[in-house]
Amino acid sequence: MTAPAILPARGLADRLTGTFWRRPGLLLVLLITPPLLWLGVVYLGSLAALLLQSFYSIDEFSGVVKEEFTLKTYAELFRAQNLDIIIRTIVMAMAVTLACAVLAFPIAYYAARHAKGAWKAAFYLGVMLPLWSSYLVKVYAWKLILAKEGILGWAAEGTGTGFIIDGILSIPGLEGSSLSTSPFGTFLVFVYIWLPYMILPMQAALERVPNSMLEASADLGATRGQTFRTVILPLALPGVIAGSIFTFSLTLGDYIIPQIVGDSSRFIGLTVYQLQGTAGNTPLAAAFAVVPILIMLVYLSLAKRAGAFNAL
Amino acid sequence: MTAAVEFLTVSRHFGTVKAVDGVDLTIAEGSFFAMLGPSGSGKTTCLRLISGFEKPTGGTIRIFGEDVSNTPPHLRNVNTVFQDYALFPHLNVRDNVAYGLMVKGMGRTARHAKAEEMLALVKLDGYGDRKPAQLSGGQRQRVALARALVNEPRVLLLDEPLGALDLKLREAMQDELKALQKRLGLTFVFVTHDQHEALSMADRLAVFNEGRIAQIGTPQDIYDRPATRFVADFVGSSNVLPPELTRALGGPTQWASLRPEATQLAATGPVQGTVTALRYLGSGTRVVIDAGGTEIAALVPAGQPVPAEGATTAFAFDPAALHLMEGS
Repeated sequence: MTAPAILPARGLADRLTGTFWRRPGLLLVLLITPPLLWLGVVYLGSLAALLLQSFYSIDEFSGVVKEEFTLKTYAELFRAQNLDIIIRTIVMAMAVTLACAVLAFPIAYYAARHAKGAWKAAFYLGVMLPLWSSYLVKVYAWKLILAKEGILGWAAEGTGTGFIIDGILSIPGLEGSSLSTSPFGTFLVFVYIWLPYMILPMQAALERVPNSMLEASADLGATRGQTFRTVILPLALPGVIAGSIFTFSLTLGDYIIPQIVGDSSRFIGLTVYQLQGTAGNTPLAAAFAVVPILIMLVYLSLAKRAGAFNAL
Repeated sequence: MTAAVEFLTVSRHFGTVKAVDGVDLTIAEGSFFAMLGPSGSGKTTCLRLISGFEKPTGGTIRIFGEDVSNTPPHLRNVNTVFQDYALFPHLNVRDNVAYGLMVKGMGRTARHAKAEEMLALVKLDGYGDRKPAQLSGGQRQRVALARALVNEPRVLLLDEPLGALDLKLREAMQDELKALQKRLGLTFVFVTHDQHEALSMADRLAVFNEGRIAQIGTPQDIYDRPATRFVADFVGSSNVLPPELTRALGGPTQWASLRPEATQLAATGPVQGTVTALRYLGSGTRVVIDAGGTEIAALVPAGQPVPAEGATTAFAFDPAALHLMEGS
């Protein structure tokens, strides 16, 4: 007896896999529909609802939202007081991103190109560990560290370097009775909290640069500095951009750190929180929330034009 | 004439691993030199010692008479074609080729003109605006070649440059590389694990084994007169005779090699064997005989009778073709 060319289907599972094999499109549709629905309806849908809200306005007497299309709410963004908030937030986000990039690069470079085995594990642990503990606890801890009687002030006094802190606190725009009530303190805490989000994508980008590429550069006569500028940096740039998207947009949206550390001046996130909660001005809150989106779009298109994604 | 590259008892040890161990080597200017060996035999480390990516732990390396043992890669007038080509993905083909000129500070117009010239040399005119990702493997290989040649190196190093190409392309590139080397009159140092590639392309070659050179010579030397059993085995196609068999065939008790072309079948002889395999080659038939556990291949020219598989036969050979080898 010869064996049959086609084996009989053993139950439902065999028939199902058979159907999927014959019609691979069906399987794709089944697999991709739920996440696509999530992305389309829940994620982008709520964003669209937000956009819609920003085109409504609030009745100044009754405080009720008028569901009529208007640009009045956007015009409110350009009031001096609101413009101040936007500019302050952008300046802070840029400073935090820049500081994170400068701090993260050597760390990411070392981890990607030199660390091996146990050192690499230590690196991952060191970068990720702060992410596992509560954000609020870390921010409050920093408030204590930066306070006048805090460990930083104590150490500065003990080493006679208190003049550095006093110097920073006397810079116009950074004034405060201590670092924990100065905008500089807000900046420090932002940099600390968001640093891992800059290190990880940078490290991933640097890790993908093969050694032979650096050798090829040296082989063709490039010094280490030239190799860094013309090969390593351009290849790491997509990672730097990815990291800066994180640090930039997280700073734009955060509303807790400026409440706890700093001089209580308002940032976009905090303003949205207050407008939404206590003031009940949802349209203006929505309009404020659109600002970071626009900033990110402008930033990304500038980065693209500068060739930041050429290596992708 | 000074040698292009000279190794004087050069070693490169990594801890207890002796990647390169006391190698002496002279590569003549203008020659096509191949370094052949299995992976881990030290051939690539030797290439990296010439390019400067490895520093010798012992001995002296000279390039055109100058001691380069302490010269960093970017100051050596030597360029490399890398195994994975290592083209810069963020630069287009023209800028890849012009890279070596760019880091030397040559102006944009001048270096682009030179790059186009190099692209024409490797028959890639008109590809300057493409990104490496848009090229086929063979085209990338040519870009890597053009990029390495743009600096006008005195020695060009090639690290298994044809390994990633398919057979047909590889054969075409072999001919092209050889022609290019002749035309430019450059010294090419070529690393490969493919014995056919090494034998067919090189003027001279070194066979590496365990960090040392097992034999150095012309392809004919290596093929006809392998110095050791390892060389005979690795270069292949020669019959390797153990000492007892050599003695039974009338030679001394020593390892020997015997080329299949020099081996004929005979009705009687001191050693008999069973035919185990036949392979028709067109110009003749390769007959494999099992002589007491040792496989001996003989080439029967076309038109002569070929024994059947399983038949018992003896064999004869030209005594001058029996080549004795060192070692046990």
